[in-house]
Amino acid sequence: MADSNSDFSTILGADALFKGELKFEKGVRLLGKFEGQINSAGQLVIADGAMLTGDVKANHIRVDGEVKGNLDATQKMELTASAKVEGDLQTARLEVAEGAVLIGRCMVGVNGQGGPSGTQRAPSRDHKATSPPPTQTDAPKVKGNVPEPVGAKK
Amino acid sequence: MPQTAKKRPAAAKQVVCTHCARVTEVGRRAMSVVCPNCSKRLILEDYKITGYYGVREFATCGDIVVERIGTVAALIKVGNLTVKGTVQGNAFARGCVSIRKTGTYRGDIQAPVLRVESGAKLRGFVRIGKPPADDA
Repeated sequence: MADSNSDFSTILGADALFKGELKFEKGVRLLGKFEGQINSAGQLVIADGAMLTGDVKANHIRVDGEVKGNLDATQKMELTASAKVEGDLQTARLEVAEGAVLIGRCMVGVNGQGGPSGTQRAPSRDHKATSPPPTQTDAPKVKGNVPEPVGAKK
Repeated sequence: MPQTAKKRPAAAKQVVCTHCARVTEVGRRAMSVVCPNCSKRLILEDYKITGYYGVREFATCGDIVVERIGTVAALIKVGNLTVKGTVQGNAFARGCVSIRKTGTYRGDIQAPVLRVESGAKLRGFVRIGKPPADDA
């Protein structure tokens, strides 16, 4: 995995502010601020301290910094411990490290087709609207359908 | 002089109520208690799901492991959730939600930590990180 700056053909420096649309083939390491759209078949690294606002489509996305927008990774997406993402994710593979903050809709699986049936039902953003009303826990009361507790705690 | 038996400190642990989110001290070997704050029943056991299990709400202060052949359709409130099989429903976890490579999750997730292994399938709205202060 390309980590150092020398592994990237393009680097947007920490003091740079880029607005617009960016297209590249190999890899970009973003250290500064970016506002706009990114389309790429390569790898994008949003470094710690970097800020990206907008939509991104790339082959491999690694987030160490902050993102506000939708991310679409064809192959893999990594959110490290310092990552903060607010937006929808679509990727084949997702890795979220402990400490990362993620708020948004996720579609993870082969070509983002999560679930065996591949249905396209979009879940609601409102937890309370889709959740059944909270009730007394009925898990152990249902006859014939009760999972057995793990005996390790005895 | 009579010998005094050494009193061992009560083996207790702290759990977070799945209903009111308040911390309660319970016996280490307790399997269920009544929350002193909200008076609702608290399940403290760990569960391993190896079949189909569909309920409105599946809540425990312990951990839930959905095995590869297991399927859960429920609103889940749990400490740690590990999905190797299939889960459909929203989950609120106090700890980690881990979706293994054979796992399929369809629903919303709210948890401090999410782990998604390569090959796992996830579709839903996720809120990962520190829970908001006003959220129970």
